[in-house]
Amino acid sequence: MSPFLAQIERDLMIAWQNRQDLGVMLIFFVIIIALFPLAIGANSAILDPLGIQVVWIAALLAILAGFDRLFAQDVRDGWLDQVSLSPLGLGWYALAKAISHWLTAGLPLLIMTPVMAIMLNIPTIQWPPLLIALLIGSMGLTLLGVIGAALAEGARRGGALMALLILPLAVPLLIFGTLASQSEDGIISPHLMLLGAVFAVLLALAPLVAASALEIGETETGL
Amino acid sequence: MDNQTQTRNAMTPTNTAGEDGLRIDQLSVLRGMALVISKLSFRQQAGEICCLTGPNGAGKSTLLRTIAGRLSAAEGTITCSVPLVYVGHTDGLSGAITGRENLVGWAKVNGLLAPESDIDTALAGFAANRFSDLPVRVLSRGQRRRLALARLALAPSNSLWLLDEPNAGLDRASNDSLDQLVTGHADRGGMVMAATHLDFAAAATPRSLHLAGIMPETSSASAQGKIG
Amino acid sequence: MFDYLANPSRFMRIANRLLWPLVAAAVITGTIGLYLGLFVAPADYQQGDTVRIIYIHVPAAWLALFGYVGLGLCGLFYVVWRHPLADVAARAIAPVGAVFALLTLVTGALWGKPMWGAWWVWDARLTSMLILFFFYLGFIALANGFDRAERGSRPAALLALVGMINVPIVKFSVDWWNTLHQPASLLRRGGPAIDPSMLTPLVLMLVAAHAYFAVLVILRMRSLLAERRIAALMLRSGGGE
Repeated sequence: MSPFLAQIERDLMIAWQNRQDLGVMLIFFVIIIALFPLAIGANSAILDPLGIQVVWIAALLAILAGFDRLFAQDVRDGWLDQVSLSPLGLGWYALAKAISHWLTAGLPLLIMTPVMAIMLNIPTIQWPPLLIALLIGSMGLTLLGVIGAALAEGARRGGALMALLILPLAVPLLIFGTLASQSEDGIISPHLMLLGAVFAVLLALAPLVAASALEIGETETGL
Repeated sequence: MDNQTQTRNAMTPTNTAGEDGLRIDQLSVLRGMALVISKLSFRQQAGEICCLTGPNGAGKSTLLRTIAGRLSAAEGTITCSVPLVYVGHTDGLSGAITGRENLVGWAKVNGLLAPESDIDTALAGFAANRFSDLPVRVLSRGQRRRLALARLALAPSNSLWLLDEPNAGLDRASNDSLDQLVTGHADRGGMVMAATHLDFAAAATPRSLHLAGIMPETSSASAQGKIG
Repeated sequence: MFDYLANPSRFMRIANRLLWPLVAAAVITGTIGLYLGLFVAPADYQQGDTVRIIYIHVPAAWLALFGYVGLGLCGLFYVVWRHPLADVAARAIAPVGAVFALLTLVTGALWGKPMWGAWWVWDARLTSMLILFFFYLGFIALANGFDRAERGSRPAALLALVGMINVPIVKFSVDWWNTLHQPASLLRRGGPAIDPSMLTPLVLMLVAAHAYFAVLVILRMRSLLAERRIAALMLRSGGGE
């Protein structure tokens, strides 16, 4: 097995042992969605047109909420030191982290989305564009989260800092994602392509930035 | 740091560097604004064991982390042509999975072919097979250290081992296992550099690199290095 | 590495020589520009005297963008060539740029209240500027978010680089979003057909703002470098650990 797959396997094994975290993330997703009708009121004339946007904001917050500890555990354990000396390299390591994190956070959320779509009265004809856009959007958000987690690794108040770094940069994903989800002329809309383009930029950028940020490990464990 | 009249760790290389050795030239390392290692030059050749000695804060861990590439040098170069294996203060183990899973994962990430029997031998070397199927989070400090050191048995024979306080928390039996492993590695042409307070691998008559440290108080000529 | 202070001091010698001419340029062009803008230039036939806020608003917006480009360049210099002065410059630019972005938002709101009847409209330019302001805040928070200040330099430089690539995408997406959600453009200022009586004070104010920006950055860099020198001296004399 290649080192790259081995890193993914290791993260999945750890995620499986900590599987209650996944439940917390999904409940967070559901609660955010449930808060909107509570704030707006149960008037379906106002609520129904907002369904897709509500799903997107909830997905954005739920995905990014899980990121502050993405590298922190590996740094504390000293695993990052081991990886940096391995043939895997930090760029591939960051990409492996993104994939395993998406598999354990983005994918379950995507599977949960149809249930939420029913709760929000989103017509079934809107489901395919919503799910496709959310698929690409969640992967893009995961890559942004990897960038943010790598930059804020070791900082005080890492979680709040990460939100401040990432949310402004998540604007294109949110805009094109919600527009692509509301597409009425087929699944492959121009907005979906723009979303894909933003994702491609992030895919090229995230491993480079994360590797550069994690290159020098400054764990303060004596001299 | 414009003033270069800092105290030096006066190192005089006694060997010419071999092709497959470790070669440190005029190395200076800053931690924050503090100069921790200044103008250090050192050679180590295949089959040599080097013990880093010196008081706390003298830069032992800093030197090991710099060689491992986890700290950047302010000045100077480090050249090393062999694979590095680093066992630092942190064990590099995830508490969520078992010791065996950790060890197998490490071997795979390093691209090492490690059949089940090699893993068993590595674990047995530190009598770690009794607890290797438990999640690491329930293990004691010393047991974790033994799992971390079990990696060394899987490492390539020409590798340079960078060990930071490897015997911290080890019992006597594990300490002996470590001694054997280190001397055996050196006999097969490997290199070991270890920061340790204890008499370590004494049978192999290791060289020692004494880091006196660059403390502001000792800015006189009292700080000096010596090679044993 | 040990020319670390030598090189900055050479840079600062040049910067210090430029400081007073820049101050003079800022004061002179600023005074003339403000006088022409506030008293000589005609009021807009539609907007009345409120149009005069562009003499602050436009230079502020310009410099907020200028500072963002500067941050990106400093990030590039720091990440690629590891030049410590680039880190000092970025740390000096960020708060200045943030204040100019905030000034743009505030003057935009002040102008918007009589024009749009609301302090805030989700206009594409204002929204992009708001996001740019958040980006500045993120940079400052990251650069100072670590227990040892210099540990934040590299992540902050990388963030500036990411921003260099991503902020134009943000701008593009916000424009796109805006044209879809608000087809009628509410705001169309400047443009090629601006009258010379308005253009002259605007150009003067732009010159003044750039000079002022440079003065602030030089002063901040000077104090940041002095802080570092003090910290280094304290460590050497045993004041540190």
